[in-house]
Amino acid sequence: MNYKANIGVFLCQCGNKIKSSIDLEIVKESFEKDSRISHCEILPYPCQTPGMDMITGALAEKKLNRLIVAGCESRLMLKKFENAFAALELRRGQIDIVNLRGHVATVSDLTPADKAAKSIKLINGAIAEMQTLVPTGQSYAQIDGPIAILGCGMAGISAARELSRKKMNFFLVLDTAKPDRMVQKLHHYYPGERSYERRFRDMVREVFDSEYGTILSPFRLVGISGVTGDYTLTLQSEPDETIVKYKAGAIIASLDAEMGSPGPQYGHDGLSVMIQPEMENLISGQGAPEGQIVFWVNDYETGQSEFAQLSAKSAWKMACHIRECSPVSQAIILYHEQMQVPLTAAERAINRKHGILWVAYDGNLRPTIQDGLVTFCNLTDHVERDLPWDYMVLSPVRHLNGKALDTAKILGLVHQEQKFLTGHHARVRPEMVGREETYLAGSARYPCDLLEALSQGQRAGSKTTEMLRKSANGELMLPRIVCVVDPDKCIGCGQCQELCDCGGIGVEEGPGGGLPRVVDPMVCTGGGTCAAACPYHALVLQNNSNDQREARVAALAGQLTPDETLAIGCVWGGLPAADNAGKMGLKYDPRVHIMGVNCIGQIDPCVMARAFVEGASGLILVGCNPEACHHSYGLDHAWSRVNVVKRLLTLCGFSRDRIALAHSDLNHPEEFVRTVESFNRSVAMIGPIERSKENVDKLNAIYNVIKFNTRIRHLLSANLRRPKEKDYRGDQQHALEYDRDFTAVIKEEFLQHRLLTVLENEKRPLNLQDLVASLNENEIRIADCLWSLVSEGTISMSHENRQAVYHF
Amino acid sequence: MKITFKINDKTVEARTGWTVLETAQHYGIDIPTLCHHESVTPSGACRLCMVELKEGNWSKLVASCIYPVKEGITIYTETERVSNVRRWVFEMLLSTCPASAKIRQMAANYGVASTRFPISNPDNKCMVCGLCSRVCEEVVGLSAISVVDRGVHKKIGAPFLRPTDVCVACGCCVSVCPTGAMQSFFDQVRGEPSMRLTQLTRQSAQEVKTS
Ligand code: SF4
Ligand code: SF4
Ligand code: SF4
Ligand code: SF4
Ligand code: FES
Repeated sequence: MNYKANIGVFLCQCGNKIKSSIDLEIVKESFEKDSRISHCEILPYPCQTPGMDMITGALAEKKLNRLIVAGCESRLMLKKFENAFAALELRRGQIDIVNLRGHVATVSDLTPADKAAKSIKLINGAIAEMQTLVPTGQSYAQIDGPIAILGCGMAGISAARELSRKKMNFFLVLDTAKPDRMVQKLHHYYPGERSYERRFRDMVREVFDSEYGTILSPFRLVGISGVTGDYTLTLQSEPDETIVKYKAGAIIASLDAEMGSPGPQYGHDGLSVMIQPEMENLISGQGAPEGQIVFWVNDYETGQSEFAQLSAKSAWKMACHIRECSPVSQAIILYHEQMQVPLTAAERAINRKHGILWVAYDGNLRPTIQDGLVTFCNLTDHVERDLPWDYMVLSPVRHLNGKALDTAKILGLVHQEQKFLTGHHARVRPEMVGREETYLAGSARYPCDLLEALSQGQRAGSKTTEMLRKSANGELMLPRIVCVVDPDKCIGCGQCQELCDCGGIGVEEGPGGGLPRVVDPMVCTGGGTCAAACPYHALVLQNNSNDQREARVAALAGQLTPDETLAIGCVWGGLPAADNAGKMGLKYDPRVHIMGVNCIGQIDPCVMARAFVEGASGLILVGCNPEACHHSYGLDHAWSRVNVVKRLLTLCGFSRDRIALAHSDLNHPEEFVRTVESFNRSVAMIGPIERSKENVDKLNAIYNVIKFNTRIRHLLSANLRRPKEKDYRGDQQHALEYDRDFTAVIKEEFLQHRLLTVLENEKRPLNLQDLVASLNENEIRIADCLWSLVSEGTISMSHENRQAVYHF
Repeated sequence: MKITFKINDKTVEARTGWTVLETAQHYGIDIPTLCHHESVTPSGACRLCMVELKEGNWSKLVASCIYPVKEGITIYTETERVSNVRRWVFEMLLSTCPASAKIRQMAANYGVASTRFPISNPDNKCMVCGLCSRVCEEVVGLSAISVVDRGVHKKIGAPFLRPTDVCVACGCCVSVCPTGAMQSFFDQVRGEPSMRLTQLTRQSAQEVKTS
């Protein structure tokens, strides 16, 4: 659907709010003469029903297929316009809103005519972007085939039951086909949940008997390829290692965290000093033990204080059971003073009935286990007391390990800096599938009790059902702004998959094995840092491509006067901060021109370079708060990219302060104002870039190198900053060495590029002196560079008048 | 369908589906509003946009933001009755959300500086207009915040007044809030990423218990 842009521009008066401050007639006049525009109109309130009616008329009459509204916040108004004009085939990406009210009208004391001039610049940027847009048609997700439940966790059973009841086909991959084994595992992973045993057993039976499900066992997952709707799972049978492949439409992962021993320093021997799962096993095997049983909730000591309450609750449930079955036994729960006892009023009554003792100890002194005794410091009198025990039960150390970890890794759920699997990035669209909700259930997500795990499973089951139903009815729209891979350009280097935590980049089976080069549109957040990282520009964010951004930046930068600057804000941080600054009537330097992007991480370094080529003397990128990127590390990745541009600017003798990265909290617009003001001051101090031929050539060289030099692009992507990681990625561990090496590569490639450009443009053989003169560079460096180009065979050397000359 | 009627004695032409407020604004006639925002469906909660509708020799006050246009009606936007009711609305607001500087400013413009009604919470900024939760629902497509009903008082908060993992921290609610209250609530609503997760755990457990 590659139709020509037919653009309509609507200028809002917003009652008096815009009209009184910007001379919209000047703006209108300028666009009426513009051949790129098919329609331009001023409306009092384009966003209200009367205005919408007028726009609808113009859209139909002039067959407009792109709409630019110059009014207020896109965040708030876009949805309304999209809904109103969806029937006219104007879809996401084809409507743009420029915030004149918030970015121009209220923020300065310029005259209405000057504000009109600024408005024209901003709108021109939007027009350039709209002209570059190649809109896609609306596609719908096709998801059918069975739902695979992977990972052997307990939550998988409740997910399966949910699917079975909803009459959805599923298969359950388990390591055992015996219901009894499942129940045993329940006691292991969720100690204290004995009262749930019968219901769980029924649940297992219902699932195993279901006509909609197949139990695959004993199998384990060894590989996965494809995307939502069309997965291929590779399973390995446990005893004979045969490999089978299964197709699945959707996946639910059900993973439980391992319950480990806190170690010998706690005297753990599994016989008298045991962890909770072992006590559960003992009860299952031999019945409730007799004697004095002490549950020490030692999570504070093992560094997992956040799970203390969970452990205490399990301990309490086990204690209740023991008291019921063996009234001669005593049960005592020993806990850290900082922990709140996790009992409700009703549970406290039960506790009294069973006479279970809760003993708090002074957390400053670590209790010590001896044979048959535990010493602790009493909270009220600070006296050291001994508590005798026949059985000592410790909290388990919860961690992600073993088969659950393997499965999580294969499914791409593991990220280095997390202990568990939950919550590494926020969702950006409510309709987004995301990995967490429909995908992951159980205590490996985050330690929880059985009820919680089963409810997660049930929720995963019902959400997946809902998704498949929607797809069957043809209602599951694929999001429009997601990445797609151009298979002709992609070499399968895997860079994109490695750095994008959204997990949207999947593996595709090819003749040479699996290659990471399909994008799952149901998972992709549309952040686009992967696209900006691709050394070959093989990934494209459709309906919001790099070309579009480049066009907008170029158009905006091209209109800036020498002392004006460009700011790019992300829609989650910088842009709404600017919007709110406008809304609150904060004043700031009007020379800054703002445009928005979905994520700061989607700005390819070549876009930054392009701004300088076209006329900007300063560029600031304003993202979200640190660690609050809605996509994958956008701000951090942008940091690395800005840094490369800084290095290149420095190499050419420009100040590295011409480009800067910043972040803004949308709730603190006054900080945004400080940010741009201070940036503008520092750029003003440096002064504008003199547009001499030499400088222009250099800027062009920067742009070309960063856009097309795959060596630099590769190096950059392989080392994108992620602050939570301790080390740089890739081979370079030493910060200084890394920096020096990278700079050296950039220098080398950059000089090579400039040399080749001169040779190409001159179209005649040149000698060393000519080159030194035209590049204004160190002679030895040029000679070295020439030598390596000649030995590579990129250029040739011959002799003229007994002097070496170089040419293609 | 064209509909002709009069606003302040000026004949205006509207179409089916327009409200009185929209028509007035389209013709450049200003009517003050608070709980109205262009991005969401109007709710008529604040009553500031009241106008006088005259038919024959009787008249009534209507909320213009939700009142659909009708053939032949006569609307007056600045009568004695209208300004009385606006002053009354501001007095009410000064008692519900006395801490909002924006409201105090607007009230002062109408000559209202104090209130006869009791002030229950002098620190409150929220006028409970519900714009924030409407925008969250209609624009963002979520229900991260709600007008929590607490007896006679309604209060804005995330469910359980704790940060929720539902909120995507887009800030739309902050931008539409007419009183500035959401700015103060916002950090609590969006929460820290780490807070979101514990809430998640609690919330789904709650779901099972109630189901
Ligand atoms: S779109 Fe925004 S700026 Fe334009 S009229 Fe509506 S509220 Fe005012
Ligand atoms: S980074 Fe580019 S070339 Fe490499 S795998 Fe991804 S899309 Fe393909
Ligand atoms: S910030 Fe949160 S609560 Fe506010 S509108 Fe966005 S999603 Fe809703
Ligand atoms: S927080 Fe603001 S938008 Fe929400 S109800 Fe209160 S006053 Fe209205
Ligand atoms: S604006 Fe109409 S009732 Fe509030």
